[in-house]
Amino acid sequence: MKLSFEPALVASGEDGEGRLVYRGDYLVAVLVRLSAAHEAEAGGWFLEKGFGPLDGPNPPTFAGLDEARAWIAAQLAHHFDGKYWP
Amino acid sequence: MTSPEMRKRELSRLVVKLRTIADLSPTAEQALLALPLRLKVFEENADIVSQGDEPSECALVVDGFACRYKVLGEGQRQIMSFHSSGDIPDLQSLHLRVMDHSLLALTPATIAFLPHGPLLALTREHPDIAAAFWRDTLIDAAVFREWLAGVGRRSARQRIAHLICELYTRMRAVGLTDGSSFELPVTQAELGDALGLSSVHVNRVMQELRRDDLIVSRGRHIAIGEWERLQAAGDFDPEYLHLREQRAA
Repeated sequence: MKLSFEPALVASGEDGEGRLVYRGDYLVAVLVRLSAAHEAEAGGWFLEKGFGPLDGPNPPTFAGLDEARAWIAAQLAHHFDGKYWP
Repeated sequence: MTSPEMRKRELSRLVVKLRTIADLSPTAEQALLALPLRLKVFEENADIVSQGDEPSECALVVDGFACRYKVLGEGQRQIMSFHSSGDIPDLQSLHLRVMDHSLLALTPATIAFLPHGPLLALTREHPDIAAAFWRDTLIDAAVFREWLAGVGRRSARQRIAHLICELYTRMRAVGLTDGSSFELPVTQAELGDALGLSSVHVNRVMQELRRDDLIVSRGRHIAIGEWERLQAAGDFDPEYLHLREQRAA
């Protein structure tokens, strides 16, 4: 199923730029863009919150949205077992 | 093996540490200073003792910064404690044959290895040394309880403020602080591995603590801004460290 990325402002202490990631109608992740304060990782995307199979203790950071999309798709494909959505 | 004078210099770190938590007779201190030892220098990120090892010596940190850790599935690491000069992080190996975790040098570190035989003999001959080691082990457990409560129930801001308070208090007790500042030679990723946080969260909170004037930090150097407020931010009460003397900063 298709992943869509919807722009949103996220109050997580960064500059605000974020994306709500949907798989069909289901919200599966919130990504935020890292501010200049993160030096080497600035401008990258952080998995601020993952839901269901994307939830975990070690949220990753991505260089760009394409990389985030690939990771999210792979995780969902790997973990998909019909438990989190119909 | 090193000369007796050299040994005294290395072992005096241990005596300074034990004095912060226990009463030692002058005889006991002399006996500690006469322990045989083997010195070894470790590079940054080298294992001092590894999980699964069956050590025949205990590792006394003379110089440098070390941590105890476990590697979990998918290469994730949990750091379980930080150690500086005077600590014997693997004292348990005196009574537990196999290491159930590893000890790592986070900076270049000088380690004095104390053979188990003479160390055990010392605890038999000097009950106050045995009591001091026991007390050290009990405080170790108290620190783990505090960390468990933190990782389970404290916010990212509380965890980081708490850890800074703990390390500052412990290092001040053994004379490793300079006024209100100390060296915290760990990366944000290592802090994250200790506190169960992503390095993104560690970075955010460090910025926040700086902005709120709770700390001043430059690289690995941390100065306490407002001690009372930092303690409040970290929900920190030094009681669990059971130091004999707890002076105000």
